[in-house]
Amino acid sequence: MSYQLQTPEEEVKEYSSSYTLLYASVVLTFAILGVRLWYLQIYEGNEHRYISERNLVKKSTIYAPRGRILDREGRILVDNQAGFEAIITPQYAAKLEDTAKAIAPILNLQAARIVKKVKKEARQNGKYRPVRIKENLSRDEVTRLSRLQLDHPGLDINMFIKRTYPFHENGAQFLGYVGEISERELPVLNKERSRSDKFHQGDIIGKTGLELNFDDKLRGEDGLKFIQVDAFGRETRLNTSGLFSAFKEKIEAKAGKHLGLTIDADIQEAAYQAFNLNDKIGAAVALDPNNGEVLAWVNAPSFDPNNFTTGISSKLWKSLMNDPFKPLRNKVIQDHNPPGSTFKAVVALAALNEGVITDKTTHNCNGKFRLGRKTYHCHLRYGHGKVDIYTALERSCNVFFYKIANQLGMDKIAKYARALGAGSKTGIDLSREIPGLIPDTDWKQKQFREAWQPGETLSNAIGQGYVLFTPLQLATVFSSIAKNGKVFRPHLVKKVLNSKDEIIQEMEPEVLKDHSPKTGGDFKISKKAFSIVQKGLFLVNNGERGTAKWWKIPGVEIAGKTGTAQLFNLSSDQVFAKCEERPIKMRHHGWYVGFAPAEDPKIVVAVLAEHACHGSTGGAPVARDIIRAYMKKYYPEKLKSKKYRQALLIKAEE
Amino acid sequence: MQIENRTLIKRFDINLTLVVLFLNLIGLYNLYSATHAPEAMVWGKTFSSQIMWLSAGWIVYMFCTFFDYKIFNKLAYVFYGINLVLLALVPFIGRSFYGAQRWLDLGFFRYQPSETMKLALVFVLARVLSQKSSPNGMGIKDLILPLVLTGIPFLLVAKQPDLGTALMLAAMAGTLFLFVGVKKKILVFAIISVVVALPLAWNFGMKQYQKQRVLTFLDPSKDPQGAGYNTIQSITAVGSGQWIGKGFQRGTQSQLEFLPERHTDFIFSVLSEEHGFVGSIVTITLFLSLYIMAIRIASHARDKFGVLVAIGSISYVFWHMTVNIGMVTGLLPIVGVPLPLLSYGGSGTLTTMLGLGILSSVSMRRYLF
Repeated sequence: MSYQLQTPEEEVKEYSSSYTLLYASVVLTFAILGVRLWYLQIYEGNEHRYISERNLVKKSTIYAPRGRILDREGRILVDNQAGFEAIITPQYAAKLEDTAKAIAPILNLQAARIVKKVKKEARQNGKYRPVRIKENLSRDEVTRLSRLQLDHPGLDINMFIKRTYPFHENGAQFLGYVGEISERELPVLNKERSRSDKFHQGDIIGKTGLELNFDDKLRGEDGLKFIQVDAFGRETRLNTSGLFSAFKEKIEAKAGKHLGLTIDADIQEAAYQAFNLNDKIGAAVALDPNNGEVLAWVNAPSFDPNNFTTGISSKLWKSLMNDPFKPLRNKVIQDHNPPGSTFKAVVALAALNEGVITDKTTHNCNGKFRLGRKTYHCHLRYGHGKVDIYTALERSCNVFFYKIANQLGMDKIAKYARALGAGSKTGIDLSREIPGLIPDTDWKQKQFREAWQPGETLSNAIGQGYVLFTPLQLATVFSSIAKNGKVFRPHLVKKVLNSKDEIIQEMEPEVLKDHSPKTGGDFKISKKAFSIVQKGLFLVNNGERGTAKWWKIPGVEIAGKTGTAQLFNLSSDQVFAKCEERPIKMRHHGWYVGFAPAEDPKIVVAVLAEHACHGSTGGAPVARDIIRAYMKKYYPEKLKSKKYRQALLIKAEE
Repeated sequence: MQIENRTLIKRFDINLTLVVLFLNLIGLYNLYSATHAPEAMVWGKTFSSQIMWLSAGWIVYMFCTFFDYKIFNKLAYVFYGINLVLLALVPFIGRSFYGAQRWLDLGFFRYQPSETMKLALVFVLARVLSQKSSPNGMGIKDLILPLVLTGIPFLLVAKQPDLGTALMLAAMAGTLFLFVGVKKKILVFAIISVVVALPLAWNFGMKQYQKQRVLTFLDPSKDPQGAGYNTIQSITAVGSGQWIGKGFQRGTQSQLEFLPERHTDFIFSVLSEEHGFVGSIVTITLFLSLYIMAIRIASHARDKFGVLVAIGSISYVFWHMTVNIGMVTGLLPIVGVPLPLLSYGGSGTLTTMLGLGILSSVSMRRYLF
């Protein structure tokens, strides 16, 4: 109390000089802060607004759906399916170990592996690029993961479009598959592209088959949208309308164009089944000889392209690569083999047109033909006896063809082979086609710097030696024979459709070779020569002793030719040894190529039956099944005809 | 006594109370926005516990208003002593967060002795200086005791380490010393010794992260993802508010967590971003009017202790507010000082309301001319 009493007015006034300083200080401080706020919010306000916008706006790609691939009737051969994938963006994954531990049990993965993968890809591709943890999430996985998202920055669920192949193994080689653009492909593909058209890492492109060849049409143009993220990169829905401008911009994705193929899904399915049912491997192609349209295209064994679309496992890849029967290979255009006896049709046509023989000419076959010091054998040890061109084709007599080939010479044979479409690429709308080989004297001189030996003409005339055909070339040559010298370029794509299914481009049939009697130009092959060869081929399937007489379709007449592609040069003992007794890899390939109906061919089928020993038992049944499926679909009335029913009755009596 | 009390109520400083209340309401409104945006992360209990602290704060305010402030004069050393003991205990039984040991765990809340120490220091300095100050300025002998009283808590807090609070203690003590007046020689000596001490403190006294903060302040762009991140994001938040701001709960910098510690140290950035230059200026103008009122109250106090305790209390608010806003607008380095009446925090809210309550008490017992 005493203290209080001692406090006079004067004592308090001791501080009166300081108040001015205090007032001045607070006003000055206020002024400094006010000016600073004005500077940041008004003077630099726009700039900071822009920076704050940039903070939360993230560019996001709108994936353009890839065009579908349809068969000639619009049925889907290749489709797109939406799916979900789990991704982790390393940049935002602050607690990667925790995140991995949390998601591992849900996704059935090992946490340590997830961490390793994320770290590895972050090193390789930078920390901004999301790392794919698992594709094709189930609905349950999506719900459980989305609950974790809030606590685990960097973890995201992405929608993606997955390429699907509903026919699985069937047709995989010509349809091809897609995959992520690889680091090696990126600079190569971007070299000749404009800035706006460049590929980016992570883009899905066609890798093989039509997916590769028509990638530019199938692949759409990805769009761009802007999404709003928080500091951890998570998408947010905070209402920012009216604050920023970037969200207005959006570039819609342009969907890819669809391809309408010449393939008929029914025939394709039948063709693939024909290999399975007849327990064969190899390749087959069916063409419409009237326009070059490919109706079916099969390789067996095959692979499922669905396994490639989201990254194939190295185990599966290795097993496909090491498979001795090469499931990845498009054997229809990528493998060539000696055509064997199927080549005799070409030699016959040459001999007839060159006047070396007529249909009356006969030669005696005693099982062997001696030229110089060497003896050339027929496949029948004691010979076919007296044969004409019809019998020679029907029974595939080597000696007859040795004799006429010897008279023709290789250069003439080669000229006719090439005129029918052999010896060079057919120009099918798929890449990686190989050209096959039709040898002649010049070729040998260039290749080996050696003169052509007359004996070589004999072996090449029966389709052994240098001459090589792909299945597609054989089908092309027989299309030409079936249609009297006019052959169309084989093609798979009939039309291109836009996303509204309107046709925007239609592929017209293109003549590959024309040496027909009417419009053949300088080099015409006579109608008569064609007729004789066609009749000979008819006998192969329909003659009493035809090499493919077991494979008929009642009501439909098939004409064709069998052949055997010898894989090794065999001694004369081995020629007659039983092929079936050798290990499978040592067995010859069987060929069969034929067309039907013989009187007005609608379909040509070439079949390579690998390691089947013979064309008649290997290739012909497969071809018969394909042709039957075609006739059943397009000409069912023929199968129901009297002839057909009669044949069935006869069969029943037996 | 009854008559005196009745006239006392008539003298209740309604203007001061209204300004404090208004700042409180702005604080709650802003804290609600910072913690309850519908699409942002919900901060659960932050807002409701701040309401609790504020209610407690108002009880303290009213309590102080109606009790004579001379009790703080009497109990100054007791408060100071208890606080000093608690402060000294922190390194042994305290809890550690963000690499600094500042809190005592009292079960229901984490008590920060350094926060109440600020006012305890004000009380004890007001008492000592009111006895020792002279119109001619204080001499060196008179200054020894107040300097020691300031130095002990300063060193204890700086050791925690809590550079921000230590500087606050120094600033508040310095304000009082300058206010009562010291001899010019001593003032010159003090300035020289600070200039000499700074490089020494830099080399020997400061921890690495403290140096980092200062370096980052000088050039935030040097490490935009690391130490400079907070400064850059805060400046962006404040600046992007422009004239009227982005709107309630629509501050993208704040709501989307680009801004760290948005409910405590960076609460002003939220206000600036969402309510722009207009909102910011209104708020600092309210603070300015609070300071002017406080200085007026001090100048009308009935005794020297009243003057000094009023100046000390308002200097607490002033220095915190100035450093905090300076820091979020990039004028000062980030030192972790909350904004009184707006930032979330129990110790801070109670201390602020206690200081303002004393101010109100001094006002009520003012000297009438």
